[in-house]
Amino acid sequence: MTEIFGIPTQALAGQLLIGLINGAFYAMLSLGLAVIFGLLNIINFTHGAQYMMGAFAAWLLLSKLGIGYWWSLLIAPVALGAFGVLIERTMLSRLYKLDHLYGLLLTFGLALVLQGLFQNEYGSSGQPYRLPQEFAGAFDLGFMMLPRYRAWVVVASLIVCLTTWYVIERTKLGSYLRAATENPTVVQAFGVNVPRMITLTYGFGVGLAALAGVMAAPIYQVSPQMGANLIIVVFAVVVIGGMGSIGGAILTGFGLGVIEGLTKVFYPEASNTVIFVIMVIVLLIRPAGLFGKER
Amino acid sequence: MNSLKRSIVSLAIGAALAAGAAQAQISDGVIKIGVLNDMSGTYADLAGPGSVVAARMAVEDFRAAAKGMKVEILSGDHQNKPDVGSNIARQWYDVDKVDVIVDVPTSSVVLAVNEVTRQKGKALLVSTGATSDLSGKACNASSVHWTYDTWMLANGTGSAIVKTGGDSWFFLTADYAFGHALERDTEAVVLKNGGKVVGKVRHPFPSSDFSSFLLQAQASKAKVIGLANAGADTINAIKQGAEFGIVKGGQQFAGLLVFLTDVHALGLNTAQGLLLTESFYWDLNDQTRAFARRFGALHKGAMPTMAHAGVYASVLHYLKAVEASKTDDGVKVVAKMKELPTDDPLFGKGVVRQDGRKIHQVYLFEVKKPSESKGAWDYYKVRATIPAEQAFRPMADGGCPLVK
Amino acid sequence: MADAAIARESTTAPMLAVRGLNAWYGESHILHGVDFDVARGEVVTLLGRNGAGKTTTLKSIMGIVPRREGSIVFEGRETIRMSSNRIAQSGIAWCPEERGIFASLDVEENLMLPPVVGEGGLPVAQIFELFPNLRERLHSPGTKLSGGEQQMLAIGRILRTGARLLLLDEPTEGLAPVIVQQIGRTIAKLKERGFTILLVEQNFRFAATVADRHYVMEHGRIIDMIPNEALGASMGKLHDYLGV
Repeated sequence: MTEIFGIPTQALAGQLLIGLINGAFYAMLSLGLAVIFGLLNIINFTHGAQYMMGAFAAWLLLSKLGIGYWWSLLIAPVALGAFGVLIERTMLSRLYKLDHLYGLLLTFGLALVLQGLFQNEYGSSGQPYRLPQEFAGAFDLGFMMLPRYRAWVVVASLIVCLTTWYVIERTKLGSYLRAATENPTVVQAFGVNVPRMITLTYGFGVGLAALAGVMAAPIYQVSPQMGANLIIVVFAVVVIGGMGSIGGAILTGFGLGVIEGLTKVFYPEASNTVIFVIMVIVLLIRPAGLFGKER
Repeated sequence: MNSLKRSIVSLAIGAALAAGAAQAQISDGVIKIGVLNDMSGTYADLAGPGSVVAARMAVEDFRAAAKGMKVEILSGDHQNKPDVGSNIARQWYDVDKVDVIVDVPTSSVVLAVNEVTRQKGKALLVSTGATSDLSGKACNASSVHWTYDTWMLANGTGSAIVKTGGDSWFFLTADYAFGHALERDTEAVVLKNGGKVVGKVRHPFPSSDFSSFLLQAQASKAKVIGLANAGADTINAIKQGAEFGIVKGGQQFAGLLVFLTDVHALGLNTAQGLLLTESFYWDLNDQTRAFARRFGALHKGAMPTMAHAGVYASVLHYLKAVEASKTDDGVKVVAKMKELPTDDPLFGKGVVRQDGRKIHQVYLFEVKKPSESKGAWDYYKVRATIPAEQAFRPMADGGCPLVK
Repeated sequence: MADAAIARESTTAPMLAVRGLNAWYGESHILHGVDFDVARGEVVTLLGRNGAGKTTTLKSIMGIVPRREGSIVFEGRETIRMSSNRIAQSGIAWCPEERGIFASLDVEENLMLPPVVGEGGLPVAQIFELFPNLRERLHSPGTKLSGGEQQMLAIGRILRTGARLLLLDEPTEGLAPVIVQQIGRTIAKLKERGFTILLVEQNFRFAATVADRHYVMEHGRIIDMIPNEALGASMGKLHDYLGV
């Protein structure tokens, strides 16, 4: 069998695919962060908690109300988006004129509070979310078993990411968003209700996090920690991709998933660290990130 | 991230007024028990706040107040970080006058706290911490290792599986002291019983995605995938294993350290058939059931894990030893604990060996099928009972300096 | 008030009436009671030295200074409490001094960005007639245009929207004389089409070619009003005001 550095190529192909799947989550989460950072100039540390709440929303819908996965994909992001709107209106909107640090502190504190509340209510071991029946089983690709659900995750995430990218980069609405990211004053002076757009953008970003949470629920245990574990990596992804760059966030998300996946094969002990090593290198060479613009 | 969380539970305040002879030798007149564990992270359910509940129950059952002993319980969150754990231990011993630290999950943390305890001459009662080094090369006159250890788990689960034909293993190991110890002890058992180890992968602790490692395990064609990890890591590995069709493909998981709360979190659908070794289960007999009911009433209806049971029993035995030795000097009380035979409703009669190892019988459990379970928390059936003398590593093999 | 007397007496209500306008940036008090009127169809300039408060006056009308007081009545409606997007919706458009072209939008997107706020906006074809360069560069990023082209784009995009009052902040600043002339012709054409224009200018020679009246600002107040026909006679005075 052909081998690369002692690893059979077939196994390697499987690992690349796995990396892509993890990258799908990174991409969806970093996309939301990038959109929020672009327009609100706030580093949304609550993102991880919102992702976790998305997963919990799916679990609660199923276990308390008997509402299944497909409806959760719709309900959880909308409900959490509304929750995001509430947070933006009541708290974040007071901080725009202040230093970045205040937004960071507020969202970080909020994340701890939300996580603590869920921990208190549901414990730390997490809740099981049953894989939807439609996704039971796996595709035999020859070189690996690809669980149907994971295949769906990659496809769905790609659709979500590309749609978001298209809306932002290619539509009229997106041109408002991009323009307001650069110069909100001028856009508002054209008659666009920029504060409302900011609120809805935050809601949308939170909704994206919640959507990723619902998609993660059947794979990972639905636990209060799930967001905190992931969000630090996602921040590194955003920093590597370049703050505020939409396409950059998507590409880096998938790319780093793959790199992390390869690390898990060649030197698994470093798989939690590799992304941060890359982050340091990128920051040294291109301080604005791979796809970011110098400001 | 979580700042040091401390709650002080004060007990037997009234009794403090009656200064009896029993407390003549007790420093500052109060016995302070510090429950040090992971209060908010991956091990918070299997130990966490439930351990504080268990310690409190032990103080009640000992009737400390009636005996004129004043006992206080503190709790701290070591966040699974050795530096945080040893800092809290130092602070407790030096400033807060804590006499004994109990529980302490996470082997890397418990080894650090063990060292601090030895230096300060206090006492350490380990329940959730797993590394068998505590009664091996790291043993000392200040510590007792109560509930279980990596050798016992390896021996119980490992030999049972090899004997039923699971003779080629692949290890998924948490990359820190506990995982290494568990992997080492299990590998020894597997080899001793004629099995072989075809591969291993060490994953960062904690991890949430195991797919890559599972794929490697799958490719290894090993019959058994040994999970040398714990808590959320084990849960996620088993859950994702189901997704990748590990069990359907003819491979078998061996959960080397699985707690009742882990099975609860996985659900019987995913966990059924899993073999695991524990020294306690709430539904063993009338006494354990009575304890579990009381515990559940105080802890949101959850049943106690063996970690909680160990905290209860070790605190109870500690208080007996304090009463008998009329001192709270750590080394003297631990010596007394080794001298007195143990007897408690959860583990029955037993002894604490010279190397600090508490021995009792342990059980090989199988997780029930959903159809076999009569309701919430009815998860295990006993597959085998391993007598105390065989369940733990022989004292001579551990290399504990205290053993002459 | 003496300043108020300078505002032109008019039998019909002016399109824009500014009275007692005060504005602040943080602690600094920039406008100290500005009064003036703009009648429908007029081209009016604000002249004055750097820092006199001309740009702040435009921004105050647009509702984008942090704090403002007084009265700004546009087509009979008080706008002093409105947010800038509502002011824009009521029919005022602003072309900022720094032009406000968006780097992440191409020329076409920049041009099409401002939402339509009323009827009577110029069709895109006519904007291209005014500024043929834009048509050729439709798909370049906005900030890759030359300074003159950027200025054309900044003016062109607000002609589409149906706004009736245009606030132009130093549209000729830093541009080559040919371009300045082109912009002058454009302003004249816009006036013919019935647009009302309030223009901030440092260059009063250019202002003289396009405007009906000139207000002179100093230290955050209007200190004089000179009809364009009287400009020649007032040259001495104007040189004093502007220090040229």
